Amino acid sequence: MATDTNTGSTLSTSPAGGDGQKAKRKQMSDRRLAKVFMAPSMLTMAIVALFPVIYAAILSLYLYSGREQIGFGGLQNFETALTNPRFWSAIWFTFFFTITSVAGEFLIGLGFALLMNQAFVGRGVTRAVILVPWVIPTVIAAQMWFFMFNVTPGFVNSVFMAIGFDGFENFNWLGQASTAPWAVVFADVWKTAPFVALLLLAGLQTIPGEVYESGRVDGANAFQRFWNITLPLLKPAILVALLFRTVDALRVFDLPQVMTQGAFGTESVSILVQRFIIQTPDPGLGSALSTLTFIIVLSVGLIFVSLLGKDLVIGSEEG
Amino acid sequence: MRASSKIARPTVSIAAFALVASACAGVGGGGAEEGELVWALGGSEAQPGGVHQDVAALWSEQNPDTPITIDVLPESADEQRQQQSLELNAEGAGFDVLGLDVIWTGEYSDNGWLESLEDIRGEIEDVSLDAAFESAQWGGELWAAPYNSNAGFLYYRTDLVDEPPTTWEELKEIGLQVGEEEGIAPFVAQGAQYEGLVVNYLEYFWGAGGDLLSEDESEVLFAEGDAAMTALEFMVESNQDGFFAPGFNTMMEEEARNEFQSGNAVFMRNWPYVYDLANNEEESAVAGDFDIAPLPTFTGEGTTSALGGYNNAVSAFSENTEAAKEFVLWAATDPEVHRMMAEAALPPTLEATYDELADDPVMSLLGEVLPESRPRPPAPNYNSISVEMQQNIFPAYNGDQDPQAAIDAIRDYLEGTLDN
Repeated sequence: MATDTNTGSTLSTSPAGGDGQKAKRKQMSDRRLAKVFMAPSMLTMAIVALFPVIYAAILSLYLYSGREQIGFGGLQNFETALTNPRFWSAIWFTFFFTITSVAGEFLIGLGFALLMNQAFVGRGVTRAVILVPWVIPTVIAAQMWFFMFNVTPGFVNSVFMAIGFDGFENFNWLGQASTAPWAVVFADVWKTAPFVALLLLAGLQTIPGEVYESGRVDGANAFQRFWNITLPLLKPAILVALLFRTVDALRVFDLPQVMTQGAFGTESVSILVQRFIIQTPDPGLGSALSTLTFIIVLSVGLIFVSLLGKDLVIGSEEG
Repeated sequence: MRASSKIARPTVSIAAFALVASACAGVGGGGAEEGELVWALGGSEAQPGGVHQDVAALWSEQNPDTPITIDVLPESADEQRQQQSLELNAEGAGFDVLGLDVIWTGEYSDNGWLESLEDIRGEIEDVSLDAAFESAQWGGELWAAPYNSNAGFLYYRTDLVDEPPTTWEELKEIGLQVGEEEGIAPFVAQGAQYEGLVVNYLEYFWGAGGDLLSEDESEVLFAEGDAAMTALEFMVESNQDGFFAPGFNTMMEEEARNEFQSGNAVFMRNWPYVYDLANNEEESAVAGDFDIAPLPTFTGEGTTSALGGYNNAVSAFSENTEAAKEFVLWAATDPEVHRMMAEAALPPTLEATYDELADDPVMSLLGEVLPESRPRPPAPNYNSISVEMQQNIFPAYNGDQDPQAAIDAIRDYLEGTLDN
């Protein structure tokens, strides 16, 4: 407290007034102090997060031949990107992937979370086992699922054959446009549903048992308790999980890169960015694509936050 | 917003400090000590125990004033290129000698990353394989010294096939017939959407009498004649009638090798490195039951293969250019070096080595195939050309795109790149 007052008096230039004014001034200085304390983290954020974004936006305005800058091009790179069918098919796959994988992860994750929230023998083991896919590095999981889905050695096909589906001996999951995107989605759901489950489980555990008890007293059956108690109270956790997963899925790179190298309509926007920065270098076009990706991810994130921001705040106050 | 304007000044000064600090760190690190050379090279033979390490040790022993050490780059060529270009783009002196894939010559020289080797041209040209030497030039100037080479082989099962076919049609017929009798796949190769697919396609294309560019690289000949279409239609049909193994379109070198050495394929197109591995009794089901032959053509005459391998170039930012030049010259011309590589089943570029080692089956076949092998155009934008070819050939042979449209698109792209 003593420090606060000191800082206030040194920083403030206005003459001392009544008690009310004094309190106000003290509040102001607290705020200033807060700013000083926040400055280092704001600064780190600016250097780490903001600088690359702005730098990419600047680069995207220049024209390149190979790695050499050949002049200012204005919005020409954006025009090239937006008129390229490859960009639109990448957008299509990215959104397809985001919607299907996030939906799958949410439903399965919610199921797991409800299961893990029950008291039963072996609950601890179940919680640990369910998390295994999530702790495997994505690139390794992707390589693993590549082997599983690939014709050779063909583990997935063996499973289908074993349960009596003939004709799956040489089914080429990763080698045709009708199944390759689904294989990638499947691998992502397998890998990330546990993460969603974990977030939702944390939410479930903040719901007090008394609420369910009074629900039972009022005669609500299991479904009614889930629909009218669990879901509304879990909403903040659900929103956080969906936000995290959506933003993550929009940037997907490693799974399709390893499983299909972007063949058969599985080229995501991030893969496209990598192609133009590394593989066939055109840093201007690459930066334009990454700026577009940033805008898409940011707007989807903002839509989430603005639609659901109220709930997020209320949720945090209740929690 | 108000808050941000108030913290603006400290932000700027601290940011400036941070930048200065990191810039200083950048100056301090990297850069070889005087007299010492650094050789940026990737692949398994660059690892400790590999033959490139022995070559480096031999040089260091003979030249104690300018010893060389290998900076081991990643396994895949794309990642090696990435590592080298990060250093060279920043004009860093960290690498003196660059192990250059044969298709990077144009790009690197265009970027101004390489020292010209015109002054030692004569000493290298006379003793090197022609195709390897050609791959080290761009724009009529020598930018690298040939080091090791590579070419595709036809692997066939001697217990199932008597004589290796000499045309693709014949190979397909035998493959389909034997494959059906044995219940195995007729043919495995590199069919995934990556550089290997372009290599395989070009081998069909050249085997049908095609040429990508005119001799002086001024004109696109790709769609002249019917070679482009013959090659692509062969792939389309092969994919439909089952000549290409199941899962062909996700196969790279290692997947193909695994299938062949598990006894699941009659024929395979692959590089020489497979020979020793597939003859290993412990790991291969076909050890002793296969042989190698030149790749067939569509006419039955001669053979053709896409040339692979690495040349050594001198970085334009090296602080020890003279010693680096001496090293690449020595590595291109010293018989001992090339004998060592041949023993490690790495095809040397020194022509005389092949006469010396004519008894070795791989070396003798390489001696036959390499003079017929052709470099992919080492143009500055080779990577873009390759990606464009991948993106048209791959959907076309999988039946997702009209072959003629794919060929037109590739021709237009090639013409567009020559105009620039």
